[in-house]
Amino acid sequence: MKLKRYTYTIALGALLSLGVACDSDDNDSMMMEDDMTGMEDDGMMEEVDFSGTFMQVDYMGRPGINTVLSGTGEIKNMHNTAIPSEMAATFQPGFESQLEAYHDGYAVALGLTPEDVDYEPNILGDILNGPDADGYTDNPVSATVLTSVLAADVLEVAPNLPTTYFNPGAGAPAYEGAVGLTGRTLSDDVIDVSLILLFGGGNGARFAGQDGLPLLVSDGVGFSANISTEFPYLGAPE
Amino acid sequence: MKNTAKTAIILSSLVVALGIMVAADHIDAPDSMGTTADIADYYAFEPTEGSDNTTFVVDLQTNVVDGLPYGTFDEDVLTEINIDLDGDLVEDKVIQAIPRDGMMYFFGPFDPSQTGTSSEVAVDSPLGMVEISDATAITETTADGVSLFAGPRQDPFFFDFNRYNQVVMPSAEDNSGFNSPGVDTFDGANTMSIVIELPNAMLGTPTATNVLGLEVYKTWVTTNRKQ
Repeated sequence: MKLKRYTYTIALGALLSLGVACDSDDNDSMMMEDDMTGMEDDGMMEEVDFSGTFMQVDYMGRPGINTVLSGTGEIKNMHNTAIPSEMAATFQPGFESQLEAYHDGYAVALGLTPEDVDYEPNILGDILNGPDADGYTDNPVSATVLTSVLAADVLEVAPNLPTTYFNPGAGAPAYEGAVGLTGRTLSDDVIDVSLILLFGGGNGARFAGQDGLPLLVSDGVGFSANISTEFPYLGAPE
Repeated sequence: MKNTAKTAIILSSLVVALGIMVAADHIDAPDSMGTTADIADYYAFEPTEGSDNTTFVVDLQTNVVDGLPYGTFDEDVLTEINIDLDGDLVEDKVIQAIPRDGMMYFFGPFDPSQTGTSSEVAVDSPLGMVEISDATAITETTADGVSLFAGPRQDPFFFDFNRYNQVVMPSAEDNSGFNSPGVDTFDGANTMSIVIELPNAMLGTPTATNVLGLEVYKTWVTTNRKQ
């Protein structure tokens, strides 16, 4: 599968570079008309060369997905030149293995066997389906379900709704007021959200540094950069 | 001699960078990290509550590691914001940005005639352009109400990534996970930002939904190098 994809990519690349080489009239320049706003001199006519073929070299949807769940540099490179409609099929199995590998690593480091510590369905199950009286949900977010969602690596953005990457609201068990999946603001703590979904288990605090367990649901840092309420919102460089 | 020392510092920083993994997308893979096409981060949000606009921020390059500079925008790198409206994860609208001679040119949103990993600049769909800023932000607003910016900005991302790289390799001696409080490795880092804010009407109404049943654009960004 991997080899096939790799061969296909090489073949495609060869085909494309051939196509570029044969493109004798690469004359894709444009006349900068008055409707191109932004120039002080509105009457300025400028010919700018935008010709050529451009090939994808980096990709990003949700923050941290490729970094955390792609197990090797080779997979990370493949992810950056992939398209999202093919990502779930290509990357989900590896993502699930990597998620389990993190849990196995801590099992061994804590003196247990890998079988002793597995991913546990996270808080999304209760948020989406509502908690039963005993906290058990009929449709828990399994490792397969979670990594299937994450493997299709796109950032979902709701127009005309307030933006929140994810906020578990009042927390377990009812997660009253939980909102999210409407985009990503400059100050959203996307790392802690990701850690909670990957390592937090059913109450979001499975590995919270308690009772000799590792702290895996927060990196312990918060937002501190300068931002503005005015466009372009990001602070001046330091 | 001075150059040699500087080179040595850059090289040793690169070695450090190679030995670690960085989020959110900062230096995320061997082939792209440290290059002018490296996507550091991507944000998309409603700029103020009740606004009919959406803001997209693409941060390229980073100087999160000392000696690993962010530099200037590369004229061979085309940045694309892809928007899927119907949920098939194929782009229905594309916005492009590419620098030329001190200006950042924007194109779209257009309906791509071809999708996938190969692109050309949509010269028939100009959107606007803005002078690339230095430390002071220069912005432009087009007649269609689209705001544009390109230039160096403070990297708003925060993460204890030095500790993260130890956390993912636990041992019997070091199995406590993150520290509380941790250390924000990105404090003081800068990045090259491209920011565009446009009316939602220019993108269309999505029929795709998220798991909560809310109608959403499904979006992603790419950098694309001239062949």
